[in-house]
Amino acid sequence: MLAPWQLVVFEHIAARIAASDDPNDKSIPSAYDVDVAGFVDRYCVGMHALLRRDLLRLLGFMEHMAPLAIGKTSRFTHLVDADQDRVLAWMESNDQGLMRGAFASIKALVFMGYYRDPRTWKMLGYAGPFVKRPVGGWQ
Amino acid sequence: MSSRGVIVRGRDLLADVSLEVDAVVVGTGAGGSIAARELARAGLSVVALEEGGHHAAADFTQREDEMLPILFADGGGRTTKDLAIRVLQGRGVGGSTVHNTNLCKRTPDAILELWRQRYNVSGCSPSDMRAAFEQIEKDLSVSEIPAALRNPNNDVLHKGALALGWKAGPLKHNRVGCQTSGFCEVGCAYDAKQNALKVVVPQAMEAGANVYADVEVVRVNHTRGRVTGVSAVARSESGAPVAWVDVRSKIVVLAASAVGSALLAKKSGITDPHDQIGKKLRMHPGAVVAGRFDRVMNSNYGIPQSYECTEHLDFEEGSDKRVWIVPAFAHPIGTASMLPGFGASHMKAMRSYGQLAVLTAMVHDETEGRVEVGEGERPLITYDMTESDRRQLAKGLIACARLLFAGGAVEVTIPAIPPVTLTSASQLDTLSTDFVRPHGVPLTAVHPMGTMRMGDDPKTSVVSSTGEHHFVRGLFVADGSLFPTSLGGPPQISIYSFAHHLAPHAIARAKS
Repeated sequence: MLAPWQLVVFEHIAARIAASDDPNDKSIPSAYDVDVAGFVDRYCVGMHALLRRDLLRLLGFMEHMAPLAIGKTSRFTHLVDADQDRVLAWMESNDQGLMRGAFASIKALVFMGYYRDPRTWKMLGYAGPFVKRPVGGWQ
Repeated sequence: MSSRGVIVRGRDLLADVSLEVDAVVVGTGAGGSIAARELARAGLSVVALEEGGHHAAADFTQREDEMLPILFADGGGRTTKDLAIRVLQGRGVGGSTVHNTNLCKRTPDAILELWRQRYNVSGCSPSDMRAAFEQIEKDLSVSEIPAALRNPNNDVLHKGALALGWKAGPLKHNRVGCQTSGFCEVGCAYDAKQNALKVVVPQAMEAGANVYADVEVVRVNHTRGRVTGVSAVARSESGAPVAWVDVRSKIVVLAASAVGSALLAKKSGITDPHDQIGKKLRMHPGAVVAGRFDRVMNSNYGIPQSYECTEHLDFEEGSDKRVWIVPAFAHPIGTASMLPGFGASHMKAMRSYGQLAVLTAMVHDETEGRVEVGEGERPLITYDMTESDRRQLAKGLIACARLLFAGGAVEVTIPAIPPVTLTSASQLDTLSTDFVRPHGVPLTAVHPMGTMRMGDDPKTSVVSSTGEHHFVRGLFVADGSLFPTSLGGPPQISIYSFAHHLAPHAIARAKS
């Protein structure tokens, strides 16, 4: 459902929101490794059209407008990690409630895409579901 | 005797459907399932229409990413208009009883008395309601969770309350054969929940009711002050319309939640001379506090929410004690969304997942929100929390932090923006609660109520004390929309019981 540029924007957002606290620890998968953006792309299929529209608008805003808030004129995806973090922090602690709410929604989507993957569970000590998925899926 | 009813999956329909029945029930959660059962048992022809799908225990994969889109409205992403409060509501046959944590508390006597004295509700006093509560508790096999089955998160609340000398106690649930997996909120894979899906819908079908899943009612049809049925659309898994479902009936029972029922009534142009429909929405807004322990807790395992703290809760109107505290642990996705911040600091906090215990403070709210028809006929939920309710929430969060410290936490985090992290209870004495402002703490509401209130005065209520609309004959309500005020506790038993208590009025109308 996401256009290629929207997928790229989401990949960048996810990479920072789910950034590792230990870049040297290779056992921790990145947001790219677990394909957070691909998951969100698929998740959008079942989303109500109006919610999907709002999400896509938000991605456009984050790519083109939000960097201005930290004095940068380049796109979000062209910023260095530290500046991308500054943009996200600006959204998270924004005076405008709607902006904070938008950040919370993006954050929830990223973490749904990230912590759905069993590779992320080991560091949490989380064993995952007790019921086993049949070979070939449930259907 | 009627032949057994069936479940029809709307997504499989190949052509439009036209039905003529005595009664159509909109929604199959706690209220709708009981209404369908009682109407069918009275010998009436009944069809129940459910917007969501029909899922069985084998479909529940214990994975948040797979279950949230299936079991929750808007995939769990429904919020208030200002995005400040996440509103979690069930969808699918069984409604919210499929994902809830099985808490069973009767409507408090003080609340029923308040409704009688202040809100002109008749025939629903504690003594009037007793038989319905007893019947529902029997139907759902309600029993108290024994201390031996209390998981570490609930034990923290127990120990904390004991240490502080606060009022607290065990809760009753509707579960039989529970495997204590802790995956209740994504549907029970072991079929241990004695809920609408497992117990009541099958009873309704046994009595002859037919259930249509994947069918969204878009209009209640009415003319000259009487209902004539509903118009609905069956949708595929992706939401695409596949067929129209038209039902003609003498009785329409709205049981699509305080959001869905009010939305449908407003969309349908139901007579509302006093502008009451959709108003006075209450929803127990709540926020969480996380405690980190110096040992492994594994709070995600075991029975969630088996213990409560009611030290800061009473039911007098205008009371300064309006906070209900229960454990609220979640699986990784829910926990990650709740913990403050992002990036490296967030992942560091997530590494403590196994050492966390989480409590939530829900406000027995007085804020009057509203449900309106938004863009694309979607619900537009407005809820501007009053200063009084905000103070209650702040009090509740502080109380949660005290309980966690008293229960043994070495660090407590209130996930505000910026986060509040404390290492001793003494820090709470001087803690500013300015963070309790719009968007200052992530809020969640799971109990919408009150948008089609009952009462005998048409100027201040939508339906009479029989559950029938004041101005549209044959239109009944049987869900949390009925409640004139917030309950201050889990609503499922109240919803089941009011649907049961009021059903004879709908039966009498259908037979009149």
